[in-house]
Amino acid sequence: MKHFLLALSAFVFLAFSQVNAADTHAQVSTQNVQSEYHSKSITELFKNFYASTGINAFLSPKEGMMSHGQELSTFHQSYGRIIMILVAFALFYLAIAKGFEPLLLIPIAFGGLLANIPLADIAGPEGFLGILFNMGISTGLFPLLIFMGVGAMTDFGPLLANPKTALLGGAAQFGIFGTLVGAVALTQYTSIFEFSLQDASAIGIIGGADGPTSIFVASKLAPDLLGAIAVAAYSYMALVPIIQPPIMRALTTKEERKIKMEQLREVSKLEKIIFPLTVIVLSILILPDSTPLIGALMFGNFAKESGVVDRLSDTMQNALINIVTIFLGLSVGSKLAAEKFLVAETLGVLALGLIAFSVGTASGVLMAKLMNKFSSQKINPLIGSAGVSAVPMAARVSNKEGMKADPTNMLLMHAMGPNVAGVIGSAVAAGVLLSIFN
Amino acid sequence: MKKRVVPMEINLVAEGLKFMVLGMATVFLFLILLVFVLNLQAKILNKFFPQKAIPTEGRRSSDASSPKSDNKALVAAITAAIQTFRNSK
Repeated sequence: MKHFLLALSAFVFLAFSQVNAADTHAQVSTQNVQSEYHSKSITELFKNFYASTGINAFLSPKEGMMSHGQELSTFHQSYGRIIMILVAFALFYLAIAKGFEPLLLIPIAFGGLLANIPLADIAGPEGFLGILFNMGISTGLFPLLIFMGVGAMTDFGPLLANPKTALLGGAAQFGIFGTLVGAVALTQYTSIFEFSLQDASAIGIIGGADGPTSIFVASKLAPDLLGAIAVAAYSYMALVPIIQPPIMRALTTKEERKIKMEQLREVSKLEKIIFPLTVIVLSILILPDSTPLIGALMFGNFAKESGVVDRLSDTMQNALINIVTIFLGLSVGSKLAAEKFLVAETLGVLALGLIAFSVGTASGVLMAKLMNKFSSQKINPLIGSAGVSAVPMAARVSNKEGMKADPTNMLLMHAMGPNVAGVIGSAVAAGVLLSIFN
Repeated sequence: MKKRVVPMEINLVAEGLKFMVLGMATVFLFLILLVFVLNLQAKILNKFFPQKAIPTEGRRSSDASSPKSDNKALVAAITAAIQTFRNSK
């Protein structure tokens, strides 16, 4: 209520500070004071109309415009918005022509486009993007709903068949903590960025390559950086097929890439049903702070594997996750508003996120090589990179690289093991970070 | 932009390194426990619920029997067809 009043008073202030443009607004919204109508000449009408057009808003930005309780600089009102709208168009191109995660990029980019429309204030607390954002992202609700759907879609069979590949999913989380240290080191030793420990943690989690987890952590630890973090997480996930292969090739020899792995054993139905409960019990005992994420994931998986609630699991993996993806994408996009995104921190987040991702990939591969030193059952190091979550893209990349070295080598199912373990691993890492700041 | 006040005496990098040790230790502890429990679970389940554990095989054997009878019927039909074809000559 207080929030609403505040927003209302901001709106009224806005309306008075730029009488021309706000005239139309005041008439549209019913709860506002209607300004008394007086006779206007035709030139006056047209002049007033011109003042309320986007052209005018772009060409002559006003000093002292308020948005989200902050003053907007004239740069963010004019060129900033135009740049961000062009960025949205570039993202459309990547999604449609290049096929980079279109399911996410289209809603995010369109949200960004809408958020940069002048005067309409769609991303403000009264606009529909703002409402969606407050409802689902500030509260951390949407990422959890997505996790339910991911759980209902994921087959943990490959992990159950060869549990020790889970360690690869653990090693890849090194990217998260390595980047955390990198971010605070930047703050301490240079004066370019000023990231607190909370900010650094939220940035590091990008290395988990898990969009929902990144958003969940960022919404709790660094709400200011949420937009940049979400965009970085999702765009690097989309760029997995470009970022990972050079690192994988650099760290492995041709012989290692040709290693063939044993056929996975068949996993019984009962094992699959019990698995979600096992994981839940473990996380209850060790790290209750990770249970929102792991709990949602395992609920989805339990519904799938129990086999008696197909309707529910079907809803979670189709209807529900699609609806939430639309909402999540649009509200993440609302953080692409120029005044939020075109700040120095964004560059830092994007750069550090890329490092996080690369370090995660590299440590997964190196862990696989280390395990080969101690175990007789050889592991192809290419599946190590799948330990960053990004299901199933990272596993597909492992498979593709394996086929390049030896066309008969099918690594996909083997790579799914570390891949799904990576989801659990990054949820655990998120839980650790959240527990530190509790 | 909210600025969180950090007292100067805190060495951020040292803090970060401590987080790293804690975080990686927890992640590995969790996953090693998971590996251990999963292996144990697989052993127990396969020992005590072997029939339930391999329902796919049971189904497969029944599946395999039906194609066999199908084959017989198919063989019979083919022989009959050949017969009629030869007879017609």
